[in-house]
Amino acid sequence: MTDPQIERKLIEIMRVISESDKPIGARNIADELQNRGYNLGERAVRYHLRILDERGFTEKHGYNGRTITTSGRKELDDALIGDRLDFVITRIEELIYKTDYDPFSKKGNVIVNLSTVDKDDFDNAIDVMKYASSGDISISPNIKIFEEDSDPRVYVPPGCVNIATVCSITFDGLLLKSGIPIKPAYGGIIEMEHNDPVQFLDMISYSGTSIDPVKIFMMRHETSVLDVLDTGNGRILANMRNIPSSAIDKTKEVLKYLEDSGIGGVLSIGDSSDAMVGAPVEEGMAGILVAVGVNLVAAVEEAGIPVATSPVSMVLDYSEMSKL
Amino acid sequence: MINKPHRVQFTSSRIEDLMFRTTFDPVAMAGDVIVNLSLIKGEDLESILEVYALAIRSGLSVSPFLKIIKGGESIGDFRISKGDVGIATVCSITIDGVLLKGGVMINPKLGGVVQIKNGHPVRFTDVVTYVSTTIDPLEVLMSQDVTSVTQMLRTGSGKILANLREAPLVARDDLDHILSDMLDAGISGIMEVGEPNSRVLDVPVERDHLGVVVIGGTNPMAMAKEQGFEVRTNAMSTLIDIDEMKHVDDFV
Repeated sequence: MTDPQIERKLIEIMRVISESDKPIGARNIADELQNRGYNLGERAVRYHLRILDERGFTEKHGYNGRTITTSGRKELDDALIGDRLDFVITRIEELIYKTDYDPFSKKGNVIVNLSTVDKDDFDNAIDVMKYASSGDISISPNIKIFEEDSDPRVYVPPGCVNIATVCSITFDGLLLKSGIPIKPAYGGIIEMEHNDPVQFLDMISYSGTSIDPVKIFMMRHETSVLDVLDTGNGRILANMRNIPSSAIDKTKEVLKYLEDSGIGGVLSIGDSSDAMVGAPVEEGMAGILVAVGVNLVAAVEEAGIPVATSPVSMVLDYSEMSKL
Repeated sequence: MINKPHRVQFTSSRIEDLMFRTTFDPVAMAGDVIVNLSLIKGEDLESILEVYALAIRSGLSVSPFLKIIKGGESIGDFRISKGDVGIATVCSITIDGVLLKGGVMINPKLGGVVQIKNGHPVRFTDVVTYVSTTIDPLEVLMSQDVTSVTQMLRTGSGKILANLREAPLVARDDLDHILSDMLDAGISGIMEVGEPNSRVLDVPVERDHLGVVVIGGTNPMAMAKEQGFEVRTNAMSTLIDIDEMKHVDDFV
């Protein structure tokens, strides 16, 4: 294994290349690295690029610069676990910062999840989502559909359609913009009775994992969102975040504006483990429990339609989204 | 009907409870070990035992001992329903229990997926820490389609389950002795003992600590799952006496 210091520089260079939509040259890579706090000159970048080429992670296109290869992308997914241990939360912070939805004009960025379904299943999936959005188990009935090559921001696999749903982390972004210190704490699966949350069955913290907690629970197929919609009883996905107890009133005010503008899904606010249905809450803090946006998608999976979801994917202007 | 919610229990506290209850003595080859329980359909038993035997003989498990529990019988507080069969295998946390009883302040940290290239462990590629989850990390990862245990056995390269604990540098001699006693007792799943103050399989360790990576006792289950068998896992479920378990060669 190479020296960790060099390894880190190699990975950072690969990240810069992978984030560029066209081939990028050593000069520009060096500038971008400077932005990120890596002091690496153009010559040093060239040296590192040769190593990357030799390993088959990058590819040279004449004088235009380099692009990343498939095995390079794979390497990015696998490398530097020490960094990625808290990467889920770091990435979320980036998106929280970009959230600027305004509940009065109903414009501005919200955070969305992206779910991929096969084109042939698309109509059925939308029907299920429409039905699911009638209940109180998700955040917003608004979605956006991406088809193959319809938008340069989103990669859609051949023969598939991507559906963007509003992500619960949007709340964190908006509360932060209102000056409330907030951090997503746990994602998990909750037992519902008569449409009320009663008990967290299992939960995973947003820090301390390299895979998004909500994604983990999606893959475990333990939800029964459709049962909750039919009978009020069953299991849905939810997440919680913590705020200082003193900010409860202000928080309720912000959440009220949001609900009036069509973004809801808050299950409860409270400062005891009872209110948070079993999740720990620190002294002096209060939790906010929110039904996650991908419950709509979990319902689609329960109906037997295969879906692949990546939660907390990107930001999107709410005015670009339309009602199911 | 749930009246009052109970606080959720994170894996880290369950582990400490189990470590405390471990009484296994590797020199005397006696006492209680922590086991993982896999629940399978009765008719799959023979084929799944073949898979387990292959995984175990290739060193992809903590120890070669297992116990088969028939439908209707119990293990710990757990009753196996009719039509099912339970297979108990030694859980890697047993090693932490034994180290604790040997006076080594051991800190189980995380479970993850380790990439193997040509038979050599390279690095962790996905991890979940014990303090952050109520479900065993290895059970979590098994459901995420990130393992390739079968491929690893076939080609020497792939991704398998493993977990990491940290031990203080001062206890290094004790650690080495106990681990070698464990090896003699057939508890052999130790994958890597790191150098103090340096990363072990790409995961940083605390200052003046060293990392110990142990092969996950749930790899045979992951392998059976990859091959399409239905296996419900109950990792770190209970403790049983090592005398109740038999070598895999006695079954297959």
